[in-house]
Amino acid sequence: MPPPPSALDLANLPDADVVRLAQDGREAAFRELVRRYERPVFSLVYRMVRDREAAEDLAQDSFIKVLNHIDKYSPEFKFSSWLFKIANNVAIDHLRRKRLDTVSMDGAPNAVSESDVAASRLEIAAVQETALEELEARELGGAIEQAVARLRPMYRQCIMLRHVEGRSYEEIAATLDLPLGTVKTYIHRARHELRRALEHLRA
Amino acid sequence: MDRHLLPEEFDLVVDADAGVDAGFGVAPLRAHVRACAECAAELEEARLVAAELDAMPRLAPGPRFADRVMQDVQVFEPWHVALGDFARGLVPASPAVRAAAAGGLLAGAAVLTVAMVWLAARADALAFTGEAALARFRAGFWAAAGDLAAALFGDAVRTADGALVAGAGAVFVLTLVAAMLALRAAGAAGREAATVAARGE
Repeated sequence: MPPPPSALDLANLPDADVVRLAQDGREAAFRELVRRYERPVFSLVYRMVRDREAAEDLAQDSFIKVLNHIDKYSPEFKFSSWLFKIANNVAIDHLRRKRLDTVSMDGAPNAVSESDVAASRLEIAAVQETALEELEARELGGAIEQAVARLRPMYRQCIMLRHVEGRSYEEIAATLDLPLGTVKTYIHRARHELRRALEHLRA
Repeated sequence: MDRHLLPEEFDLVVDADAGVDAGFGVAPLRAHVRACAECAAELEEARLVAAELDAMPRLAPGPRFADRVMQDVQVFEPWHVALGDFARGLVPASPAVRAAAAGGLLAGAAVLTVAMVWLAARADALAFTGEAALARFRAGFWAAAGDLAAALFGDAVRTADGALVAGAGAVFVLTLVAAMLALRAAGAAGREAATVAARGE
């Protein structure tokens, strides 16, 4: 029976092996999974909700949900896809709850259900930003961040997974439970909107 | 190709730049872009946006994030893993001590094996010894029970009829059980009364 690997060894193991060790009740393996994915998950959620405190809480909830059900993880899927799926759902639920604070425009053209329409609505934040929001906007930096923030949530998710996390279209489709064609359409439209949004900077 | 690129075709080229397999359709698109200044400018624009998106950094949560997550994660160690860990804990760390322990275990196992073989070869002696021990235990038990009964009900019990003693014992046990049940019922009634009184307040 091999001894449990140290934290140093864990860093060199693939996700599937670390998950197996977590299923064996190794706390170090749980911590390694958090260490690997805290930035990707937090980045995704933060860019979805644009509120640091809420993003930390939501990212935390996502990890707790996933790690407390690690025994139900099926190795035929990528662990990161499962984690991103949960984080996306948590972020979308949060945005739905917050919808009253925002003005919604049309849902995504490919949205087929009421929930899809709600999730893909363009949200325009209140014109007057609070000091905190201003600080967060500064943290999120340049024009590209501002432009991404104005995308519909579903477009934003797809763009983040494609460009920041480097996921393939197929992985994004599996993560977001969307047809492959819809993912391609969302990413194409998002890039088109971003080009239009940044046009004035290049003129 | 005698037309400009369609909006989605710019994306195809950008994705192909990033290594996404776009099939054979990209070569004619690239050929057109090389010859068309308008499409080249637009493709450059698309590439710039993609590059800016790719350069978006991953943001870090607060420094205590992992600890806060772990506070709410239930780490459950299955029994077979715990058993393995326990067994590993018994193995000495030093190779010399480990070798000595293994030698001791082997010697112990050898002695036990020889003893078992020796006993198995003398099964009749073993059975005789077992029976003698059982008879001694049985006699001791009944003597102790007789002493206890005599202490409780007097010396007459020793000479009384066996059926009478068994009957008295049964009555004693039944009385004991009835007393326990009555005590339990009284306790439950007391708790019920206390609950009703608390609700009344």
